Formats: sequence, structure tokens, C-alpha cells
Amino acid sequence: MQRKIVEFTNLLRKSGLRVSVAEAIDAFEALDELSIEDREVFRDALRASLVKRGDDVPTFDQLFDLYWSGFHDSLKQAFEQAAAALAEDGIDMERLLDRIREMLESGQMPEGELDLSDLARALLTGDLSELEQLIRQAAAQSGVARIENMLQIGYFGRRTLEAMNAEGAMRELRDLAARLRAAGMGDAEAEAIGRLAERFFEALRQSVRSYMERELQTRNFDYMEKFRREALFEKSFYSLTEEEIARMREVVNRLAQRIKNVMSIRRRRLKKGKLDLHTMLRRNMARGGVPFELVFKERRKDRPKLVILCDVSSSVANVSRFMLQFVYSLQECFTKIRSFVFVAELGEVTQIFRDHEVNKAIEEALEGGGVINVYTRSNFGMAFHTFWRDYLNAIDAKTTVLVLGDARNNYNDPKAWCLRDVHAKAKNVIWLNPESPSAWGFGDSVMDRYLPYTTLAEECRNLRQLSKIVDRLVL
Amino acid sequence: MFDSVQDVQTRLEKQGYICDKRIATVVFLAHRLEKPILVEGPAGVGKTELAKVVAAATGRELIRLQCYEGLDEAKALYEWEYSKQLLYTQILKEKIGEVMQGTRTLREAAERVGQQDSVFFSDQFVVPRPLLHAITTEQPCALLIDEVDKSDPEFEAFLLEVLSDFQVTVPEIGTFKAKHRPLVFLTSNDAREMSDALKRRCLHLWIDYPSEALELKILETKVPGIDRKLAEDLVAMMQRLRQVDLKKTPSIAETIDWARALLALNAESLGEEIVKDTMNVILKYEADIRKAQQELSRMMAARTPAGAASTPGAEPKPAAKKGTLH
Repeated sequence: MQRKIVEFTNLLRKSGLRVSVAEAIDAFEALDELSIEDREVFRDALRASLVKRGDDVPTFDQLFDLYWSGFHDSLKQAFEQAAAALAEDGIDMERLLDRIREMLESGQMPEGELDLSDLARALLTGDLSELEQLIRQAAAQSGVARIENMLQIGYFGRRTLEAMNAEGAMRELRDLAARLRAAGMGDAEAEAIGRLAERFFEALRQSVRSYMERELQTRNFDYMEKFRREALFEKSFYSLTEEEIARMREVVNRLAQRIKNVMSIRRRRLKKGKLDLHTMLRRNMARGGVPFELVFKERRKDRPKLVILCDVSSSVANVSRFMLQFVYSLQECFTKIRSFVFVAELGEVTQIFRDHEVNKAIEEALEGGGVINVYTRSNFGMAFHTFWRDYLNAIDAKTTVLVLGDARNNYNDPKAWCLRDVHAKAKNVIWLNPESPSAWGFGDSVMDRYLPYTTLAEECRNLRQLSKIVDRLVL
Repeated sequence: MFDSVQDVQTRLEKQGYICDKRIATVVFLAHRLEKPILVEGPAGVGKTELAKVVAAATGRELIRLQCYEGLDEAKALYEWEYSKQLLYTQILKEKIGEVMQGTRTLREAAERVGQQDSVFFSDQFVVPRPLLHAITTEQPCALLIDEVDKSDPEFEAFLLEVLSDFQVTVPEIGTFKAKHRPLVFLTSNDAREMSDALKRRCLHLWIDYPSEALELKILETKVPGIDRKLAEDLVAMMQRLRQVDLKKTPSIAETIDWARALLALNAESLGEEIVKDTMNVILKYEADIRKAQQELSRMMAARTPAGAASTPGAEPKPAAKKGTLH
């Protein structure tokens, strides 16, 4: 049992869950305290001690089914099917098995003792746990650990059946039928035993096959899952599918949460300022004005002010969808934040983001809300000019301006001087560009014109880059 | 205490807390392994309540520590009672004079005082806060650390220390070690993710919204007088509402509140009118109420053919009671 749990925790780890040794030990101890007869209790005990994050629960459940419970069920199912098939032929499996057992026990066998193999015995007694054990052993012997793809299922299945000598067990059963007939069993019943053997063999074959499939899945699960996760991190924003964007959301949320955490720590470090005489005297009145408890003035919290300009033109359609999610999450974290979207026109979406849940908000910002006309060609110059004209007073020395866009200006006037003025007033201007720096300034890109007026300009094409930049921004 | 998972379930049920096997299993394990439970889940599913009923079911005292931003050791663990110390010094002034008698030099006097200083730094002047209280208490107790996600990361690190050995050192006095390990519940609303180190030390329990059958059972336990049919309708509607994308999804707490409200209004069935009037019991945002109403009309439209007979009879009543809620 212990080995199986260790193997299971390894499986969890491979699938990206963080399971420590201490937690595996907890799982052992937990199982000592419980009867593991009840599968639900068993699952709950493992889950409580091994899985500590809500996000990981689905992965755990899937793996648990694959690893622990599923096979027994499918075995049971296969034999129930066999029974049903026999019933169609007019044979009652239970009664037949009872009859065989009865005959065996009554010692009516003419030719001395009958030496049945474990497999045949398990089949005759309907002992599924024993059967499961036998299949597992045989599968291990056949080297199923090396299984890599679907095509090998047949091969390993055959080897497993050979390893457990399934053919032999069937011969034993047929042999048994012959002997029982000799001992006085009716012809019809003896024939039924032959049919039974066939059905059992079929059920066994099916179970072994499903065991192989399961094995392949567990081995591949971690691989697929890991692949999916990494890919998400590395994948360029340009090629994200709709579903991936949705999945990104939780990652982005976590990113935003991290920013907030770091911010709160920094805020607290800054907290202690000069002695606050008034409050201190009042607070220590109870001790006759003797200053037992010192009170310091809180330093003015340096809450970041953020102004975000997000390009939502069609050239960056996917990127902007994702970036808007990021902006949305940021807005949930910070209070002093204003968000704008632009193509050629520029419009504020702060309120929309505040009022709606994320998908609706993005929909509104992009199409439905009539904030801006998104079906024009991008014109950064015009957008910056609008910003300069209408919102320059929103910027002060504490404001960080974040621009998200590719700076592809369709050969319009870049009006870089607008950004210059913004840069002069703001604390920082940060530009995240989904294009690589080698493409900046080529074709209709005017990134080079804007570059002098940014504090930081970075390529930001995938999540990994974004999270790196975020770390740099807040630390 | 608890003998089996089943035992947990029955004893909690006796306290009016209906739970599924999963919760019972974790509680049972926590008790057997003497490990804290980290309870997570949406607001209002009974996280805090779980700690309360487990304490009640085991006859333990419940000590509660409510976490918030800026909570520090002085408020969670212990504090010196300065004013009491000061008062004692004033009262004991003469006595101090006696102690000082016969000392000639300043150094001698200081030494004399030094010999006595344990008087001023003794248990007498320590105000125990929840954590110290949980450690020093004579009887086994249950400790509830509520909304631990609201506390700062520093406090979390400090908690780790306490939770791993259940001992606390007060520099001036010495080390307190727990006689009985308290049963610890930490609750979190997932406002931020707790550190791995903390999670590693705890068993994890995720309480989600209950299934329809379970919710019905809870409702009937918590609101005894409720009509079976009404309860069924109500629960069905709540389950449906949770599918809608709302800002604040209504929880079990809201189901119970709503049932009580309906009971107070003498409603016998869920007519469209009365639902509209009492919607603000379960939904806390204007936008949510609007959304829910759309969903509701859809639901009612689907239901009308079957429930047509009962609706007209129920309608006049809520109309008459309209004023009571607003």
C-alpha cells in the first residue's frame, strides 16, 4: 500500500502538483486512522493531506480515478457484461457457478484431485480483487511501464494475457467441463461451461485492454498536462485560441495577486515615520501621560497610480484581448488606476471595467460599448494627441503610464511630442510591445520615434516575459 | 472524542450542522492526527460555523482569532498590561521604600530592584490574547483563526511557528507549551493564496456550495417550520441562481435567510411577485438582482403550466405584505 501511495504522489508531482514528503507522510498516517474500505473516504483522506490548492483538485480527481478506482469498476463491468451475454443465451451464470462449486466440493470427481491455477480459481469464484491483482502482476511482468503510445496497447495486452496464462486457464475450464460431465453433470450444463469459459476469456481480454489504456493515460497525463502548461507560458499572444485566453485568466489573476502582495509588504515597511506626539499623548493618557506606547506617524502611502493605454486594433486583436484581461485584473487590485483603449480614437474604460465582470467588460470595451470605433486603422499619433489634450492633467509625478501596443502606425503622423509631454510629467512611461525589438522602426512601426520618451520598453510576447516584467516593475 | 467518520457526521448533525462525508473525514483526520485544518471556500458556506459546531460537539471551548490587515503579535498572542504595572508600582511605592532601606549606593539600590523585577514581569501582568489563551488553557480547546487570508504575510509566518509546535516564548517569563494540542481551524476566503509552508502543515478542506439534496436537508434543519414544497422550490431556485454569473453568488447563509424571510411573510409558495420583493435578501448588488430577475422570469415561464393552480392563490398575500420589507 505504501509503495502505491508513493507512486501516486510521484504521479501527482509529475503533473505539476507540489506534494512534499511531509504531506506524503501525512497521507500514510491518515490512512492508518481510517478504514480504506470506503473509497470515498479514502479519496477524501488523500485529497485533504496531499492537495492544498483548489485549482489542483480537478487534476487530483482525474489522476485518482485513473490510478485507484477506475480499473476495478471496469473489471466489474466487463464481467457483468459477460453475465448479461450468458443470460441472453439462457444461461444463469450465478447458478452455473454455484453448481460447479457444489460438484467440486462434494468430491464427486473421478480422477483424483483437481489442480486449478489461480486464475481459473479466481474466475470460478468470481473474486474480482484477486483477478485485479493477477492482472496487475502480469502487466508488470509484461513491462507495461514502457508503454508509450496507442499502438502498443495490443502488443502489451497480448503479452499480459500470455504472462497470466489466460489460454491455459480456459483449457482448464473446458477440461473441467469434460470431467464434470463424466462425474454425472448434464450435457447442457457442461456445454454451458464451455460457453462460460469463452465469455470469461472475452471479459478478461477487455479488462486487460482497458488496463493498458489506463496505464497509457496515467503515464501520458503528466506529460500532456505539463506540455499544456508550459506551452501556455511560452506561446506567443498572437496565436492564442479563445479557450487559451480563458485559461490565461487564472494565470493573469495570480500575477496580479502577486503584485498586490508585494505592494502590501512594501507599504508596511514604509509605514513608520516620525513620532506622532498628539496621538501618543492621547493614547497614553491612561498611564498618566507616561509614553509607554510609542505612536509614529504613518508615512504617506506611496500607492502607485497607474494609467494604462491599451491598443485594441485588429493587428493585435488576440494580444489586446489578453492584455485587457491583465488590465482588468490590475484594476481589481489597485484603486488608483485609469484604463484607456484606443485604435485611432481613444476612450476611457475604467468605469466599464469596474461595473461588469471580465468577459462582458472586454466585450463592451471592444465592441458593444461604443467606447471607440474599433474598425478603423490604428493611429497612435491621433490617440496620443487625444490623450494629451483631454487627460494630461490626470498625470502627476506619481503616475506610471503603461502603454500596450505594437506601434504600427499605418504611416500616420506619430506625434511623438505628445508622448514626450506625458513622459515629462509622469513618474515612468513603460511600453510593452508584442513585437520583438528587431522589428521596431521597420515598415510602419514608429516604435523608434517613441523610444526616447519611455523609461522602459520591452518586448512582451508571452506570459513568461510578462511575468518577468511584472516582477521588475514592482520590486 | 470522535470514533469514526460516521460518528463525526452524526454528532455534527446533532448540533444542527449537516455535512457530507468529505467534511466529516477531514474533521476526523484532523482530530486523530492533531493537525490544523485549512478550510477554504466561497463566503457563506459554513466555514466558521464548522469550527463552532465541532467545538460544541466535542464540548471544547472555542477560542476565536479574527484576522485583519495589520494584526500583529501584540493582538494575537499576548501583551503587557502597562497601566496595571504602573498602578502597582504606585501602590507599592512604600513597600519599595522598605526594600530599599539600608542601601547606600545607587548600585546597591539598583541590584535590590533587579532582584525584585520578576514581580513586575510575571503572568499577572500579561494579557493573554487568543493564541496564548489557546496554549495555556487547562482544558482542551478548539482554536478558530478566522479569515487568515486577510492577515499580512508576516503574521502568517509567525503563525507557522505557533502551529508547528504549539509553544510560545515570552522573553521575560519563559516558554509556554500547550498541555493539549488545540483543534485548529483556519478559514480563508481565498483573498490571497496562503504560503506553501502554511498549507503543508494543514489538512486542506474545500467546502463548496452544497448539492441540492444536502441543501434541502440543511434548510429543513435550520428552518424547522418550513413547508416541504416551499423548501424544495427555494433550493431549486438557489441552485439555478448559482449557475448564473453573478458578482456575489448567494450561499447557504442566504438560502436560510431567505427561507426565514419568506416564513416571516407567511408565504406558502414561491410566486413571481414575492420572489421579486424578497430578492434583496439573497442578492447584494443591483446588477445581480437585474440579472437574476431575467433568469427568474425564464424559470417561471417554464414552470407556469404545472404550477398555474397554486400561483393565483398565493399572489394576493405577498401584495398585501409588500410594505414590510422595504
